[in-house]
Amino acid sequence: MAGVKLLRGAASLGAVLLLWSLAGHFALINTDLVPTPEMVWSAGVELYHDGLLLSDLAISARRAAVGFTLGAGLGVGCGLLTARIRWIGHALHPILNLLRPIPAIALVPLAIVWFGIGEPSKTFVISYTVFLAVWLNTDHGASHVAQTYVRASRSLGAGQWREFFAVILPACAPHIVSGLRLGAALAFLSLVAAELTGASAGIGYRIQEARQFLRTDRMFVGLVELGVLGALLDAGFVQISRRLVHWDQA
Amino acid sequence: MTGAVAIEQAAVTFRDRAGRRVQALAPISLDLAPGSFTAIIGPSGCGKSTLLNAVAGFVPLTGGRILVDGVPVTGPTPEIGVVFQQYALFPWFTARGNVEFALRRFPMAAAARRAAAMAALEEVGLADRAHAYPGQLSGGMRQRVALARTLAARPRVLLMDEPFGALDAQTRLAMQELLLRVWEHRRTTVLFITHDIDEALVLSDVVQVMSSAPGRFIDRIDVTRPRPRSVEQVDAGYLAHRTRMLRLLRHS
Repeated sequence: MAGVKLLRGAASLGAVLLLWSLAGHFALINTDLVPTPEMVWSAGVELYHDGLLLSDLAISARRAAVGFTLGAGLGVGCGLLTARIRWIGHALHPILNLLRPIPAIALVPLAIVWFGIGEPSKTFVISYTVFLAVWLNTDHGASHVAQTYVRASRSLGAGQWREFFAVILPACAPHIVSGLRLGAALAFLSLVAAELTGASAGIGYRIQEARQFLRTDRMFVGLVELGVLGALLDAGFVQISRRLVHWDQA
Repeated sequence: MTGAVAIEQAAVTFRDRAGRRVQALAPISLDLAPGSFTAIIGPSGCGKSTLLNAVAGFVPLTGGRILVDGVPVTGPTPEIGVVFQQYALFPWFTARGNVEFALRRFPMAAAARRAAAMAALEEVGLADRAHAYPGQLSGGMRQRVALARTLAARPRVLLMDEPFGALDAQTRLAMQELLLRVWEHRRTTVLFITHDIDEALVLSDVVQVMSSAPGRFIDRIDVTRPRPRSVEQVDAGYLAHRTRMLRLLRHS
């Protein structure tokens, strides 16, 4: 089954690449604007030999990981507090709901003023985006724990701590995990936003740099990197969440 | 013997979303003798589930009081066990894990707790499914685990809110048989809510018939059929009770 799926995916990708390549060869597209797959490949090889491909990848991945970890930790903690402790919820809900619709990219200039163009401004933008997504999901999950679970727990003699760790937390785990998955995708999004505007390395920076030399082939390399990295990350997340939330949801 | 329940003019009103006062339970009184099995039967909306939730300590009273062995009920307590209609098993724990959750109120070593949980599952005939998660069990099996879990906490009073209402007829009979066997062995005071006349007559010592609006007890039937009982025995007395209850419920 998995083999068939893989084969089908490869066939689909192969067909797209073939059509793309043919369109370039028969001059149906301007290869200065849309380079052929072969041109993108050789640009990638060139970047690899310059040592930039891997170092950009490492720098971007590291930024995303740091920002994600920070934002996700704060998001889960804060979400549990706002959902389960009434006065904290009342105090923080309005402000967090106001902050929620602000796109991360709008924060980049402010972050640069506050933290400069070094790592802290990127960490701030990424972790902030992740935080809001994870907070929202955690808060929603933890405030909608089925009443019967809580009643059952209490009438079986569980104290507050046991209720929290053995009932509330697992009951909202599916929501937390889907918040983390969304957060991981958003971490990528805001990472690129931050790198496009103020950075000296990283995938986003490399795309921006390529623009100045009209190297669309290099820009495509960056896009492919982002696509592959994001897809791998999401697939990894699905695997982890299947292990973490292993029970039947019914 | 423990497990005496005294319900004295218990009443529950709450405010709905529009702020109107809604009477969910009109003042009502009922005594349950220690070790007795009482069923409450009545139409939907008569307040029988609210009464059970009040005895469980889930819903605060707005009038009267409820005493268990002389002590007022102020909130949920493991002395008062509940078996819910929707099972309320924790899907993230295995069958054994669910039973162990109830056993954690007693100080015991992990090995002893595991053994006690296995014994409780044995009692309901599910020892071989101890490692299954609730999502992997049928409705009847889930309710057996729920019964084992609730009994593992050694409650003095057992409240059951239409526990077999969601099961198919055949499974329901098997569950009634199981409950009879387990209960006749333990003799915990039981308050059992049901829609089903036959279920009430098969299981109980006393059947209280409730009317709707206002919810009050309009008849009490003492079932003197000897125990141990079986769900298959039907005698003339049973049929007479059945006819009487059908009539009452039709007119209530």
